[in-house]
Amino acid sequence: MTVAAVTKRNLIAMAVGLAMTAAASAQTEVNIVAFAPGFAWANLFGPSGTEKTEELLAFEKKEGITVNMEYADEETARQKVLLDLVNGTGRYDLVMLGSDGAVQTYSYAGYLEPLDGYLDQAKDYFDPSGVYPQFLDANRVNGKLWALPYYSFGAGVIYRKDIFDKYGITEFPKTTEELEKALQTVKEGFAKDGVTNISVLTMRGAPGEEPSLDLAGFVYAFAGFPAWFEGGAVTPEEIKANKAKPIFTGAFRDGFETFVRWSREFGPPGIATHTWVDMMNIYGQGKAVVLMPSAINGFAALGGTENKDVKEHTAFAASPVGPSGKPIQSFWTFSVGISKFSKDKEAAYKVLAFLTGKQSMEAFASQIGWPYNTFPEITHGPVLSAKWPKETLDTVEESYETADPHYFPYIPELNEFMDRIGTAASEAISGGATVDEVLANLQTWAEDRMTRAGYYK
Amino acid sequence: MLRDWRLRFVAPAILALAMVVFLPTGYLFWMSVTHWVVTDPDIYFAGIDNFSGLIDTHDFWNAWRVTLAYLTLSSALMLALSLGLALCLAEARSARVLRVLVVMPLVIPPVVAGFTWRFLLNSEMGFIGAFLLPSIGVRTSMLADPVGALFSVVIADVWSRTPFMFLIFLAALQGIPKDYYEAARVDGAGVVQEFHFITLPMLKGAIVMALLFRVIDAINTFELIYVMTKGGPGRATQTLSLFGWKVAFQGFDLGRSAALGVMMLAITLICAMIVFNRFLKVRE
Amino acid sequence: MTVAHAEHARPVRTVTRLSRPRSVRIARIVFLGATLVFTLFPLLWLAIGSFKTRYEALSLPPSIVFEPTFEAYAKIIAGGFLHSFGNSLTIALTNVTLALLIGTPAAFALTRMTSGARDNLSFWVLSIRMAPLFAIILPLYVLFRSVGLLDTRVAVAFAHLTLTLPLAVWMLMTYFRSLPIEIDQAAMIDGASPLQILWLIIVPMSRPMLASVAIVVFIFSWNEFLLAFILTSREAQTVPVAVAGLAGTMTFDWPLIAAISVCSMIPAFIFVGFAERHIVAGLALGAVK
Repeated sequence: MTVAAVTKRNLIAMAVGLAMTAAASAQTEVNIVAFAPGFAWANLFGPSGTEKTEELLAFEKKEGITVNMEYADEETARQKVLLDLVNGTGRYDLVMLGSDGAVQTYSYAGYLEPLDGYLDQAKDYFDPSGVYPQFLDANRVNGKLWALPYYSFGAGVIYRKDIFDKYGITEFPKTTEELEKALQTVKEGFAKDGVTNISVLTMRGAPGEEPSLDLAGFVYAFAGFPAWFEGGAVTPEEIKANKAKPIFTGAFRDGFETFVRWSREFGPPGIATHTWVDMMNIYGQGKAVVLMPSAINGFAALGGTENKDVKEHTAFAASPVGPSGKPIQSFWTFSVGISKFSKDKEAAYKVLAFLTGKQSMEAFASQIGWPYNTFPEITHGPVLSAKWPKETLDTVEESYETADPHYFPYIPELNEFMDRIGTAASEAISGGATVDEVLANLQTWAEDRMTRAGYYK
Repeated sequence: MLRDWRLRFVAPAILALAMVVFLPTGYLFWMSVTHWVVTDPDIYFAGIDNFSGLIDTHDFWNAWRVTLAYLTLSSALMLALSLGLALCLAEARSARVLRVLVVMPLVIPPVVAGFTWRFLLNSEMGFIGAFLLPSIGVRTSMLADPVGALFSVVIADVWSRTPFMFLIFLAALQGIPKDYYEAARVDGAGVVQEFHFITLPMLKGAIVMALLFRVIDAINTFELIYVMTKGGPGRATQTLSLFGWKVAFQGFDLGRSAALGVMMLAITLICAMIVFNRFLKVRE
Repeated sequence: MTVAHAEHARPVRTVTRLSRPRSVRIARIVFLGATLVFTLFPLLWLAIGSFKTRYEALSLPPSIVFEPTFEAYAKIIAGGFLHSFGNSLTIALTNVTLALLIGTPAAFALTRMTSGARDNLSFWVLSIRMAPLFAIILPLYVLFRSVGLLDTRVAVAFAHLTLTLPLAVWMLMTYFRSLPIEIDQAAMIDGASPLQILWLIIVPMSRPMLASVAIVVFIFSWNEFLLAFILTSREAQTVPVAVAGLAGTMTFDWPLIAAISVCSMIPAFIFVGFAERHIVAGLALGAVK
């Protein structure tokens, strides 16, 4: 064995070794944190969220990317995402966001990668022109796009047609005034007929940000604009330029007061602590007549109910229009964004496009079956048309068109505002304080918060 | 003294703890005097701003009130229940199965315990809230009534964590020599006197310790309350831990959250020192 | 009133059954009965719920007689939950071992120290637990991240240890304090080293307390959520974290959550049953006078 031969052997072995490691690392890893296992991307990760289905494996092989998914529940995922982003750890490439706070906060904090430049890539997975523009709009802050919508919904009402018919209301009310009368009619009808275990209305009044999405919708419908800051300012720039102070004791009051009043008069006794889970359960058990404006929870109830009446007599109607002429809003997207600290943003975008693209949304429609979908093509496609009457699908689509995705201000402090508003509502609903008292507190807090953040310098 | 066997025995424990405690605590103190809000690119030294800002808010005082009420109520109930249970089940011939069963609620993750009680007490669909209670004439919604909500949270907490205190007392009871009771009986003492003159004094150390740990535990209770009431209705059950969490993860104000943590730490330390000096220093 | 007998080398450590007046016995039974109902009813409800469908589980009046389904349990086996069970078990058992190994000598030494040193050190140990969790999440995250230990079982076990060790030390201290120092002295005169005293005399006498500490530490670690959640991702996920992940945003599978909880009771039941035996054994054995 000459020295040369041995050295050559070693060199070859080294080269082979290097080549192998190179090949192995050619497989990029994209890490995602999301919520709702068994619901979100169940077609890729299975019902428990811990498998890898054929579909996913095919994608991984084709693109040379390994997709690692981690599920947690929304609140706890929020903590993980924050810790990761605040420390720039870069543990997650893709993060799940909500269009009611997370998108705004993280984009302003500089933790997200703007997506406008990527939209031309991976078009065979996600073509931005193929989705309803409103859902993309909801994820635009300051004109830039920060996340792509996965699962999203608009406003609407789910109700029991049989009960409405019984008390002489054959057509679902179109305005809030008419709806209030209808609710009153049903309430009186129940009292006369001795029905005590069914509430007329189910909404959510739990403290925190739960009610706020809906509440903001009420405010919008009554004032005609997002009545949070003077002049309807909705961006930090506008607020700073006009030194727009909060107006919670102003135009905000009407919608807020209606929400609280309806909850107290027509809602179940425990409404001050109800979340979407309760809405869903109560309606599904047949214990409520009307569910609004986040009709999605009614559809969720339909999915699991075994109550015959609920199954056969549930109808869907458009969200009623407030005194301003605009409907009560409820608009939200479950969206995914790219972390600024991701080590391979191109690969991350590919996965993102795959996760929010037509294929995934088709799977969503087949597996979950709700009439909400980000693609018009799928909304009117075979799967959903087989499940829902055309009228329902059309009304759903209309709710996107009449929606104003920016029906609340898009400011970095949004999360905290949503939390405070919801808590104030809960307090008012439970009778712990009057509407004016909680609004006055809210106003004081908001003024202080905005001042502290330097808006009025 | 340095080569003393006692120090050698204690060293591993001190070392293990110090490693994970010093750095994070230092970091915490640093955070508490820093202006650090996620949405604000500026991070700067803020002196006592975070602290004064907190004291100014209504939430802060509300949270203290709620925490104190919750703490006192749940600890008192827990003490009575666990002591009673330990006394009943301490004897060797009691069913073993009972002792193991009684411990089981502690094994249920607090998240699940919270949901369980929430569903049970729910006034629309809960077995207790919508079925049992109305049938005995109680019509208020336990969870949606500010006082009822506090009670509900206390009950869930007591259910979940009594076994912990029970275990402490169970073990402590076994340390009481039988002779004492025999001698007492010879002297003609009844059950109550036995308890008062023998059991209670012998358990004093264990009771104080159990209460100290209980208080620390209660301050840290988060998921149970969050899942049951989210701090509501309104802010009726928003304890300090919920408030602190909100400041950090919804207000994104990490500096303030740390300041709250430091304040809570300071007060707990002071109270513990007082209790410690009063009850636990063994006079040689 | 007679007090501690110094002439007994090893005091008897049993509380034997003394005959009690009827009123006391009735009070006992009523109290025990009520407490047991309070304790066991939610568990029973939980267990029953795991065999129902999502709709049935929450309907009222609840159906006592129903057709059980094993959907929920099937999902557990099909899903990757077994992995988190393994993690929880490893971490909990590690904690028990370490807490006892490190804590027992420490507690013993503390009770044999002069009051100044003992009070200071033991108070410091106790104070470790006083920082509220929400406040130290971020610092702990930063610490573990800087040593590259995120998402490892080691990190979680260690983080748990900082919470369980003070507990173990204090529980044992309370117990050791009641063991008369004369025992040590007698043994030392016979030429025993402190380690021998600890291992051969103190430990056997303390079995009930050691068993109780083991149970408490195990359950605490098994159950702990916040730290386990913050420090882990996929690899080292524990059961409470897995359960919390199911309390989803758009779905709410109560039977599944209930089923996982029931399953998580099983290892704990086994462990507690096993450890509990030592408590009783300690009683029966008593000690030789």
